[in-house]
Amino acid sequence: MQRTIELIGIPTVVITVEPEETAQARPPRALCPKGFPAGHSLGRPNDPDLQQRIIADALGLVAGEPRPGEVVTRSY
Amino acid sequence: MASEEARPIELSRYCVPFTPFRGKLEEAMVCLVTTAGVRERKDTPFQVEGDTSYRVISGQALAADLTFDDAHYDHACADLDLNCIFPIDRLRALAGERRIGGLTERHFSMGFSQALRDLRETTIPRLVREVDHERPDAVLLTGG
Repeated sequence: MQRTIELIGIPTVVITVEPEETAQARPPRALCPKGFPAGHSLGRPNDPDLQQRIIADALGLVAGEPRPGEVVTRSY
Repeated sequence: MASEEARPIELSRYCVPFTPFRGKLEEAMVCLVTTAGVRERKDTPFQVEGDTSYRVISGQALAADLTFDDAHYDHACADLDLNCIFPIDRLRALAGERRIGGLTERHFSMGFSQALRDLRETTIPRLVREVDHERPDAVLLTGG
């Protein structure tokens, strides 16, 4: 789906907690918060500062240097 | 030979489609798209063992107005705070701080499905056209 949205001319970024699976799908842009389990894409419940930081980092990949196909892993 | 030439060429899975972002993030309208089975509470539930439909979520919705139907990821986070899988409140806060331009009027959600052909040929093309109608400057996708 991400690739299809990108194909019609809209920049995309995915936040993934399954980096191997996502890398196989060749994403235009992807951020993996390291070590978060499935269901915890934005980290911890009721932690708006952390969640906003992860979103800001993901959107930073949209505006940053192209790294197509790469899953960028960061620790939080 | 002629029929071989007439067949449409498909994007190789080794090719990465890439649309450059133009403009400023501070002015960008962002659309959320999730595959985590999120929906508005008033909307029809997803079938957790397989569902190729999708739901539209209002850009005005708060996380508290939303729920999810799923049997495949850990719910410990999302049960307490739906922003763990669909960060609509957090995106709105970033808009409030003028770090993004805003949220599109509609956002989109799919549930779990292994009907890959249906997804590829029907659900995803329909959903992507709806995303396109929102004219987002960027799309943020989340899984579970």
